Amino acid sequence: MKTIELPRKSLTAETLGFFRFGEISPGRWVITNDAGEWEILSTAEFDALLAGTIETRESLTHKGFLRTGSDLDALAERVRRKKHFVGKGPHLHMVVTTLRCNQDCRYCHASRTNLDQVQTDMSLETAKKVVDLAMQSTSPYLCFEYQGGEPTVNFEAIKFIVEYSREKNRYEGKTIDHSLVTNFTWMDEEKAEWLIANDVLVCTSLDGPEELHNWNRTWRKGSNAFEQVMRWIAWFNARYIELGRDPKLWHIDALLTTTRRTLSQYREVVDLYVSLGIRNVHLRPLNPFGFATRTWKNIGYTTAEYLAFYEQALDYILELNLQGEEIMEGTAALFLKKMLTPDDPNFVDIRSPIGAGTGGVAYNYDGAVVTSDEGRMVLAMGDPLFKLGDAASLTYPEMVGHPTVKALAVASYLDSLPGCSTCFNAPWCGVRPLHNYMHTGDVFGQRPNTAKCAEHMTIARLLLNKLDDDPDGDVRRIFDRWTVDRPRQ
Amino acid sequence: MAETATFHYDVDARSVGFVIDEELYSLDAIYGAAYLFVDRCWLFLDRPADKQVQVRLRSKEAEPAGGTLDALAGEFANELLNQVLRLRIGDSTRSLREYTLARAFFGDDDGERPNIDDLLAELDAEELADDPLEIQVPWDTGS
Repeated sequence: MKTIELPRKSLTAETLGFFRFGEISPGRWVITNDAGEWEILSTAEFDALLAGTIETRESLTHKGFLRTGSDLDALAERVRRKKHFVGKGPHLHMVVTTLRCNQDCRYCHASRTNLDQVQTDMSLETAKKVVDLAMQSTSPYLCFEYQGGEPTVNFEAIKFIVEYSREKNRYEGKTIDHSLVTNFTWMDEEKAEWLIANDVLVCTSLDGPEELHNWNRTWRKGSNAFEQVMRWIAWFNARYIELGRDPKLWHIDALLTTTRRTLSQYREVVDLYVSLGIRNVHLRPLNPFGFATRTWKNIGYTTAEYLAFYEQALDYILELNLQGEEIMEGTAALFLKKMLTPDDPNFVDIRSPIGAGTGGVAYNYDGAVVTSDEGRMVLAMGDPLFKLGDAASLTYPEMVGHPTVKALAVASYLDSLPGCSTCFNAPWCGVRPLHNYMHTGDVFGQRPNTAKCAEHMTIARLLLNKLDDDPDGDVRRIFDRWTVDRPRQ
Repeated sequence: MAETATFHYDVDARSVGFVIDEELYSLDAIYGAAYLFVDRCWLFLDRPADKQVQVRLRSKEAEPAGGTLDALAGEFANELLNQVLRLRIGDSTRSLREYTLARAFFGDDDGERPNIDDLLAELDAEELADDPLEIQVPWDTGS
């Protein structure tokens, strides 16, 4: 038998407001509350806070960590503002205009068909039903995001949805954005001019330098997908300028898919994005399910490998910012908006409860309504658990009140989840019930066993430690800039 | 001088075991601490006697490196103390928190308080003013 003796911290609980806490690095403690307020304290300060002997600090009182003098009504207003998305209704409507695609990417395993499979195009009749359902959302802001397959292969459906929703919106009065995620291999000038004229935001897939991009994104034999992407980024960006659009507001954005080959090339990837004037490198790990073992061996990695890559890439991006470049990391920016502003960016995958069905909805080419684009992939793999119904017959109350939507909300409400309810990261984090389901058959899963828990805890700790070790305020100035959104209109 | 908490544990080739007095550490604290180790250990809970809970943490590594198990025992004991603090803070602030959350989500709008859209508009105006470099225009709002 062995013995451990540990100091037991004194607690004068009646002097304290509610907070969660955690040690983010040796001797440094973060405390957080429901409004997303936080402070970092030394061990001595943390002990004094608990014991009720800490020297009164305006910030501790204002943020509600100390009971005496705190304003609960003001705190409630901040909680209300932080959770503004609750009850707003789905704003993100992901529309799969077709499953057809002319690329055969290594990481795309369940959501594409070959170009001759015209039966996987969304009909205009279905597109109309999708718009009719989406526009019943109680959210005053909607974003139609066109996905595939390669969505431009069925360009008529995109045109129809943009035009029909615009017509319908004459009576609805919502703010509507349209965004297209395209590989640019089906683009031509006629489509491009139409997209610009109709203010469709265009985002492409860009996985890194030529060799890496072309390895990830297999195209027809002898072709060069990377060259195609470069050509169209240049074309669009030049055309925006020709038309007098502000290039800081109108330029091509890009999304990166991280494969095993990306891990060692973080500098090259970031440098490429910077050279193209893209200001957001959004690093995200692969969804680690649905792959054949052989494929995963080729492109996959462990959570630890991904997080090591993430930390290196974030450090490099910060280094470039300190040299004056304007580039940010997307996932960090989402967390920073939660940490450094009174608001929440309402990113549907990182919020509590998750936005599956209540923040975002996906519409398959055949009109199947699914809780998310990942839910659509699960549907394509033969499991209908995340399907809510069909656009032709589903009503809006049925959609947002569907038992699956409720189950996902319960399974992702952090205040009720063991391990999460007491975690310092709770005001900023979000769990993924669908990932849990795919790994364990249970939408709740066990959070400490999930890659998302490791990822979100690592990111929160990295950001807090950088903010804590920032004597000149340089990091804070950079991070503050990453939290700023500018509307295009 | 800080009060000291004493923990006794046994250790074998692959696991450490504690017998915890439920009078000192509530079941919620024990469960809360144990849960946070499920990524690294297999957890076995038993009741060897009334008001006692045995917690055995079995490493998922077949042959844990030297010192790993003692470190694990220390971490678990530390977490148990933290869980007690978390529960006591939660209990002590329950009514404050209930009031705050009820006010946040179900409070009456008396017309004097700015509504959320006003607050958001105010924030947008502040943010634009603070963004001389115009660094970010979001395009992706989800997934």
